Amino acid sequence: MRTLRIKSLCRQRLAALVVLSALTIASPMWAGVITLNHANGMYILKAEKTTIKSVFKYIEAQGKYVFVYDQAVEKRLSEQVTIELQGRSMEKILADLCATASLSYTINGKQIVITSAKKAKSSGKAANDDKPRTVTGHIVDQSGEPLMGATVKIKGSSKGTISDMDGNYTIECGKDDVIEVSYMGFNTQEVKIAASGKYDITLVETSNSLEELVVIGYGMVKKKDLTGAVSAVKGEDLVARHNTQLSNALQGSLSGIMVRRNSGAPGSGASSIHVRGVTTMGDSSPLVIVDGVEGSLDNVNSNDVENITVLKDAAAASIYGAKAAAGVILVTTKRGQDVGKLSLHYTGELGLEIPTTQPSMVGVTRYLEMNNELQYNDNPSGGLFQVYTADQTKNWMRYHETNPDQYPVTDWQGLMLKSSAPRSSHNLTMTGGNKVVRSVVTLSYDDVDGLYDGRSFKRYMMRANNDFTINKWLSTSIDFSLRHAKSDNTVYDPFSDMRKMPAIYPATWEDGRLASGKSGANPYGLLTEGGYSHNSSSQFQGKGSITIKPFDGFSLQAIVSPYLNYSKGKTFKLACGYTLADDPNTFGGYFDAGSIYATNKLTESRNESWRVTSQIIANYMKSFGDHSLTLMAGYENYSTESESLSAARDQYELTGYPYLNIGPEDFKDNSGTGSEYVSNSFFGRVLYSYADRYLFQANVRHDGSSRFAKDYRWGTFPSFSAGWVMTQESFMKKITDQGYLSHLKLRASWGMLGNERIGSNYFPYMALMSFGNSFFYMADGSVVSGKTARPSVLPVEDITWETTTSTDFGLDAHFLNGRLRFTFDYYWKQTRDMLLAIQIPYTMGYNDPNTNAGKMSTKGWDLDITWNDHIADFKYHVALNLSDFKSRIDYLNNSDIISGGKVKREGVLFNEWYGYVCEGIYQTQEEVNNSARTATTVTVGDLKYRDISGPDGVPDGKISPEYDRVPLGNSLPRYQFGVQLGAEWKGFDLNMAFQGVGKQNSYLETAMVQPLRDNYGNIPSIIEGNYWSPLNSAEENASAFYPRLSSVSKSNNYATSDHWIFNGAYLRMKNLSLGYTLPKKWMDALTIEKVRVYASASDLFCISNFPKGWDPEMGVSSYPITTSLLFGIQVNF
Amino acid sequence: MKVKNSIIIAALLTFTACEDMDLVPKSQGNTAAWYTTENELEMATNEFYILGYWQEPLNSSEQWSDNTTYRLQNRNPGSNGCVLDATLNGQQYEVYTLWNQSYKLIARCNTLLENIHKATCDEKTRNRYAGEAYFCRACKYADLTFFYGDVPYMDETKTISEAESMGRMDKNEVKQKTYDDFDKAIEYLPESYSLNSTIHATKGAALAMKARYALYMHDYDIAEKAAAQCIALNQYSLYPSFSDLFKQQTKNVPEKIFVLPRSIENDVILDSWIVKNALPRNAGGYGSYNPSWDLLAAFLCTDGKPIDESPLFDPHNPFQNRDPRCAMTIVEFGTNHCGYEFNPSPAATQIMNYTTGKLQSNQDTRIVAQYTSYNGLLWKKGIDATWMDNGLKVEQDYVIMRYADLLLIYAEALIEQNKDLDVAADCINQVRARAYGVNKSETTAYPAVSAVSQSQMRYEVRIERRMEMAMENQRLQDLMRWNLAEKALNGYNYILLMDPNAVLTDVVNKGNWFWGMTPMIDEDGLADFSALFKAGLCTTGAERKFPARQMLWPIPTHDMELCPALTNNEGY
Repeated sequence: MRTLRIKSLCRQRLAALVVLSALTIASPMWAGVITLNHANGMYILKAEKTTIKSVFKYIEAQGKYVFVYDQAVEKRLSEQVTIELQGRSMEKILADLCATASLSYTINGKQIVITSAKKAKSSGKAANDDKPRTVTGHIVDQSGEPLMGATVKIKGSSKGTISDMDGNYTIECGKDDVIEVSYMGFNTQEVKIAASGKYDITLVETSNSLEELVVIGYGMVKKKDLTGAVSAVKGEDLVARHNTQLSNALQGSLSGIMVRRNSGAPGSGASSIHVRGVTTMGDSSPLVIVDGVEGSLDNVNSNDVENITVLKDAAAASIYGAKAAAGVILVTTKRGQDVGKLSLHYTGELGLEIPTTQPSMVGVTRYLEMNNELQYNDNPSGGLFQVYTADQTKNWMRYHETNPDQYPVTDWQGLMLKSSAPRSSHNLTMTGGNKVVRSVVTLSYDDVDGLYDGRSFKRYMMRANNDFTINKWLSTSIDFSLRHAKSDNTVYDPFSDMRKMPAIYPATWEDGRLASGKSGANPYGLLTEGGYSHNSSSQFQGKGSITIKPFDGFSLQAIVSPYLNYSKGKTFKLACGYTLADDPNTFGGYFDAGSIYATNKLTESRNESWRVTSQIIANYMKSFGDHSLTLMAGYENYSTESESLSAARDQYELTGYPYLNIGPEDFKDNSGTGSEYVSNSFFGRVLYSYADRYLFQANVRHDGSSRFAKDYRWGTFPSFSAGWVMTQESFMKKITDQGYLSHLKLRASWGMLGNERIGSNYFPYMALMSFGNSFFYMADGSVVSGKTARPSVLPVEDITWETTTSTDFGLDAHFLNGRLRFTFDYYWKQTRDMLLAIQIPYTMGYNDPNTNAGKMSTKGWDLDITWNDHIADFKYHVALNLSDFKSRIDYLNNSDIISGGKVKREGVLFNEWYGYVCEGIYQTQEEVNNSARTATTVTVGDLKYRDISGPDGVPDGKISPEYDRVPLGNSLPRYQFGVQLGAEWKGFDLNMAFQGVGKQNSYLETAMVQPLRDNYGNIPSIIEGNYWSPLNSAEENASAFYPRLSSVSKSNNYATSDHWIFNGAYLRMKNLSLGYTLPKKWMDALTIEKVRVYASASDLFCISNFPKGWDPEMGVSSYPITTSLLFGIQVNF
Repeated sequence: MKVKNSIIIAALLTFTACEDMDLVPKSQGNTAAWYTTENELEMATNEFYILGYWQEPLNSSEQWSDNTTYRLQNRNPGSNGCVLDATLNGQQYEVYTLWNQSYKLIARCNTLLENIHKATCDEKTRNRYAGEAYFCRACKYADLTFFYGDVPYMDETKTISEAESMGRMDKNEVKQKTYDDFDKAIEYLPESYSLNSTIHATKGAALAMKARYALYMHDYDIAEKAAAQCIALNQYSLYPSFSDLFKQQTKNVPEKIFVLPRSIENDVILDSWIVKNALPRNAGGYGSYNPSWDLLAAFLCTDGKPIDESPLFDPHNPFQNRDPRCAMTIVEFGTNHCGYEFNPSPAATQIMNYTTGKLQSNQDTRIVAQYTSYNGLLWKKGIDATWMDNGLKVEQDYVIMRYADLLLIYAEALIEQNKDLDVAADCINQVRARAYGVNKSETTAYPAVSAVSQSQMRYEVRIERRMEMAMENQRLQDLMRWNLAEKALNGYNYILLMDPNAVLTDVVNKGNWFWGMTPMIDEDGLADFSALFKAGLCTTGAERKFPARQMLWPIPTHDMELCPALTNNEGY
């Protein structure tokens, strides 16, 4: 695995040079001028007043070869030369170069081992006074792959050697010598030699090195050359999270990326992803680019991911112009390597999903008592036993023993949900290639069951990435991917009612027949008999590209990527009901859950969407001396069309044939609609660097969208960024030489980004007529439908792009030879001409129109700290990311948008909680009489609110929604963090990931705390013993948190107020996994390359202030968040 | 080489040619081109008759009156408060929905009126469509001024900033404009439509709606004239059977002056809340949306006297000797309702299932089914076994104005002016005689009203309205305009004792079923059950509260916050 990765890095470097030519390197380490050009099939190497060593380094920097030589050779490389060499192949050039310096060389793949022409083996002998000891050994990487060409030298001397093809070395050294083993891309390791003998050495890979390539828009750049704010995560780190959906695996993986969930349902991904906070009111989800074209995260198999890069600031993202305002996530999938062989990898996992926590409810007796108490509170004249008699209240449980039909006690959750659900996945990858063809083909299957019968998610994914080299100037690649997901569910979603239904209603009668529930509302009956929905979606994406390189440094690439998404749904809602308790033959009634399950109705839907992305990209790269320049220009066209169709028939007689033609002709219903959208874009980039020290980058994109009227269609989005690598300055040399600080870079960027996403309204500039139906009598008494037409949305003719301007200052620092790495970014961004549906008075009679109104700004910072080290062969790493932001509305067209208890208002943080300021619970009648109230019915035991204002701007003695609600603080999370810990030791690997939120104003939703919702709902046990009650002592009431039980006062007590806001900070263990790789020698016998077994637990625990039974990420009526426990095996052939 | 490269580059460039961005909507039209043909005008006016503009939320107003009870609570279709809990504010569903549905329809009307000049059709046709817009706009301002008093007046499309700067226009001014709109509608709309065209609003509908509005506004002379004109059209008559009139199979009979049909086939159906909650439990309903005891007590006896005055009334058999509409509105005990015998008595643990012909356990008595009707009553009006035929989907008409209502409006307008009381009596008698299934001249077959004093006639017409119009969402408005809302709507809903065993032992077994004594009826026809309650023969359900401020509803918070010039009504 590890060797493969190293090779893949090399290969990417090659790709960067040969295929994309997206970068250039100018190393300051060589003096003089060296150029290597390729023209008319000839390589021309020119070097003036330089050293052989510099020439080697130059060639190395081009990414094609790595030179390996020992100390003896190195001395001879310092000779100054001026040469001009020509040859049809690089080998010829190398041969000539070596001949000039009397060196000989051998080429092994990318590695060129340079040795003296005359064997210099004897050179070390004289250096030792003591008895020389011969030390031998075997050098391997962590996966046990031998490392050929590793340098082994005696510390403090020039003596050294190089490991051979099989990673073996032999060196002679003196007493107490320390040997230093180094290899490019790996941490240098020192071993103290006590006696002669065998010293096997495992080198640990230098991860995330500065040489690593980072994918940026339409190209790649070395990490050290980055000037924008970019975070990246490797595919293998995401696979280690063991999430079915890629979006979930991103949670807590990267700084500045907020991934939120609200359920753990099979097949559900993240509910929202935000890059660096919220940039706009509407769609603030980032653009996802998969291998260069627009895609979706959850349509990618984690196992296929090579890496994910997030472009966080304008400098990085503005190449995606008008779609990039909310950040860009670039997903790069794995590609085949020129390794000269094929490998097959299999990964299999089996596991269980277990709900993290579930809310609990008070027992039956308390339910009855509290129900009576509520009624007593609202109508004291009726006494304390208005709903249930004293006898029923006291003896329900006892009567239940003998008469369960009349006195039911139902554990709804226990009846409906299983304690766990199985999941499994299988992944097969074939990879390999040679100089001409390189491929990766993967096939995967995931199967996740739900917590109740009828719920499941199955997914098949296939991807093939193929690269072909036709000749020196022409290459091509053809990729395709397929995804087919099947999601089965019941028509009835049980969670809301299951949590609400009190135990006193029967799910089944004593003899097992389905019972009435609450007058037909029987969640169990609805779940088991209410019918099913089968949905599937299939995506096909292809991508073909042709690259030509007409002359050196220039390439032209054309890409076309069609995408087809087809989904279909079949929902068969079945009539179901109950029979009477005492009479199995008498139908009691149909089940009901808001809608009645009284007929058999089949609904089918078919949706198809099609999009094509075409790009043409030209690249030119040139370096001269310390200057290096890359130019890129491109054009992109994106067009999409979609159509949807649905048809239904009602009142089926038969339920065994779920097809439309079986249904009755009379109750048909169907609908269909379509939309289309086109955008065209031109873009370009200039990358310039001087001596690896001063870096500069400029991007511009010019976008046009069919969503806007002709005159407002085009937008231009530029960005500029610069970097200063201080450690490359000579005045820093002293510090860098000490090894504490190895790399320090300052970055600054500024740029503009656009956004046009306003939901499904593709024609906001037109006054569209919406169509519908109304019904009329004819004179003969028949009813006919008439087509209706209305202008439902006000058109905004000059609607155009919203623009986000973003500024970023960043700092990258590496300490202790790169073991400690630190990245910090501070940014602010402002969105103006924000596209939003402004609220207009109801009196206008139109739906809220989308327009360019409002400004909002976000300030924040991201911090990443990583530590990589090893103690002997115990290798470990720690990574921490932390970020924070605040988004504030600067201007909002002089209006407010208030919904869901949150406000968007000028001068206030985005979506602050909005409601009354609570001053506790009324304890005395006197207090009630002397207070402003929402209504005269508000009394002792209800929540008391502060009278803040009135029509005249001063408190008016009334609590009214118009004048007394105020912003109550940020609703968005602050200080989001993620921590990764990893360790490896003798074949064992351990990974831990944590994720959380440092501070958040969370809200106790009414559904979590309100007893007897809709006058019958169950009573959450969290309020028990903590609510105001006329039966309590004054002291008990003084300390009660929850208001009295009341239906009349519910609109007062459960109105949005700060009473219900609490600190929702949490820390969650996202994943814990432990693996063991079986010793290689066992495997060799079986001709298996590698076998690793592992166990993993995701969402294992969570520490928070949330009330008992509530997971911080769980929606009040949604599927619970689940802990997954799984076991897996990975076999490589 | 060079040539080959150039060819390939050219090929690559053409392969990604710039695509046209001048798209047109695929599945929608646009206003610039609309309102030019008759067909487009027809579609634009069809829009006016979408049920939501008319029924939301007033199709629930019966539930906010003393005609209805719902278990132990005051009923709220929304979730954040009840009209009868005195907690009304600008965020409540009913409050903002009546407001925004009204203004939506007003905006549709205004757009049509602003653009209709573009239409190529002849003036008469154009006027007819304009008449519909005037009619609908007038109806909506009628509702708005009744419930909110002064309101912003929109008769053209405003810009957002204009709309936000608007304040409320004096109710009397809006009223005058509304009468003007009605008058234009009356002028332009046809008396009837041809056989092969759909029936839109008619001249008669405009006259009748104007009459109702004028009555609500206490402009009795205007009401009288409009009603008289409508009657004089000779388009309308009373349907012979009161009980059949409201059934879903009774279509557009001449009694229905303004009606919006529903259609199961097209899935435009009666609110399923009403269906499920109104149906008896034996038939698979909830039996929880109930006519109140107040309503049961309100029906006169067959001698034309209230129950506390008539010797014919027997509190143990409250359906006996009552105005026939009593048992046509509320299910009489022991009768076949939706295929099942209805009997809420705890003694009746078994009832007849008329479909199977067998006895079965009675789900409509609380001794068997704890949560069935708490007051023992169920709605009957318009409800029959056909409600269960299509999976509880019901296509009952949404009747906005019918002839009986118009006759009573006419009568009331006359009575309030203290003129032509004999004409008023004749109107009441037409309505009453139809209920008895006799001709109004057969004065021995029903208790005919005779013109006596204004105050007696006022009493008669109000009682008649209550008996005739129950469950038709008129009661709250009637109480408000009669200034009786505070009196009638502050107090308790009365229900059977909560413990069904106590009902059995203390009420039924002691011979006190259904009512142990006759409730007293006051001069406004309102019943008083306090004696029954004091005797321990019944208990209280929800407390109804109607504070004085509620004579006008609050202005929706949404608009209060957007429009600084808006003021709120007193008390909010």
